[in-house]
Amino acid sequence: MRSEYIIETEDLARYYEVGGEVIKALDGVNLRVHRGEYLSIVGPSGAGKTTLFNMIGGLDRPTRGRVIIDGVDISQLDAYELAWLRCRKIGYIFQTFNLIDTLTALENVALPTIFAGVPRDEGERKAKRLLEAVGLGDRLNHKPRELSAGQQQRVAIARAMANDPAIILADEPTGNLDLYTGMEIINLLRDLNEKRGVTLISATHDLKMIGASDRVVYMRDGKIEKIEKGGQYPSIDFP
Amino acid sequence: MEEKREVGRITFSLIDAFRLGYDNVKRRFNRAALSMAAITLGIAFFSTLSLMDTFFRIHTQAEGGGLRMESYQYWLLLVSLVVCVVSITNSMLIAVYERYREIGTMKCLGALDQHVLKLFLVESIILALLGGSLGYGIGLVASIISVTFTLGFNVVLKTPPTSLLALLGETILLSVALSTVATMYPAYRAAKLDPVEALRYEV
Repeated sequence: MRSEYIIETEDLARYYEVGGEVIKALDGVNLRVHRGEYLSIVGPSGAGKTTLFNMIGGLDRPTRGRVIIDGVDISQLDAYELAWLRCRKIGYIFQTFNLIDTLTALENVALPTIFAGVPRDEGERKAKRLLEAVGLGDRLNHKPRELSAGQQQRVAIARAMANDPAIILADEPTGNLDLYTGMEIINLLRDLNEKRGVTLISATHDLKMIGASDRVVYMRDGKIEKIEKGGQYPSIDFP
Repeated sequence: MEEKREVGRITFSLIDAFRLGYDNVKRRFNRAALSMAAITLGIAFFSTLSLMDTFFRIHTQAEGGGLRMESYQYWLLLVSLVVCVVSITNSMLIAVYERYREIGTMKCLGALDQHVLKLFLVESIILALLGGSLGYGIGLVASIISVTFTLGFNVVLKTPPTSLLALLGETILLSVALSTVATMYPAYRAAKLDPVEALRYEV
């Protein structure tokens, strides 16, 4: 049974205790994300965007409420199953790329396929195809430090796609990039979203990203303030 | 088969761990060399003493006399092995901090605690094999030089190669054991690392 929503959160809350004081990083978030949707999450820092990502990605456990991914309540999963979820269903993209410096671009992209149990040569073939798809077919054996910031983020996107995830979580993917490179990355993500049907959720301050998305979720103080339709800002021309 | 299941399992075979570990040792050679130096020195000392002991025994059997190792030398050996373990632990802990983000990222990509543990232990075994062999080589050369000056090279020729090989085996075993013990705590720290924290960590 496939539900209409790929992600549902019900009254999701995460409280931290810091120095005897309770901090409500998330406080009752109800969010439903359609399959293949491109969702932007906007809000000041401390609004709970990253915490929400960590919850959806199964990296952190909620204080209250539920996260349902593809019909599965992830609080019911054990550590193995959560790791599988992170490995196969979800791809991560970070502001700081987080590539592994000692591995080449190809090995970085192939890394998630190891955990997925894909045979080595098959994983590397796949990684090569993905790197070609993001326009880095001639940089397979370069180390992250030999690549520009935009190229590193492309490698990170290819890595996020390595196990054909249903969802990509992108935390400020253009935050460390200049305007033009940021646009390229947004186009690439939008392309993946449209051509491969990947559900894309990105936390962002970037107006260009907000413009490209289907819906925009505004967060403040751990709550959803409002949800608007995207595309209100000048959209981007796709080459 | 896996496609039919809603939620499957994660794998990380020993072969993959060895491949990743070997790559890592190769590419972070400076860090690896530090850990390896500690093992090499400890093992070199151990194998020098053991080999000298073997040569002395052969000499005693053939020519008579009461040449043997002094007991204080075994104390020195013990101390040196403890120092070796402590310095490997220290060096591995620093390696864990250096790789904070990397470990966090791997966990984000689906690695389990036990996989991180496996990776670090496998790396330490690789270092132990390299450091142990190197240490034995140094010990062999040192003890042969020493024995040649005191008893003459004949003793070395009289020593059966099997006993030298047996000692190599023992040395490697000891080296792996020491390195594993030394890496236990750093590897545990790495495995237990919270990916949410690790990714926030600025190096």
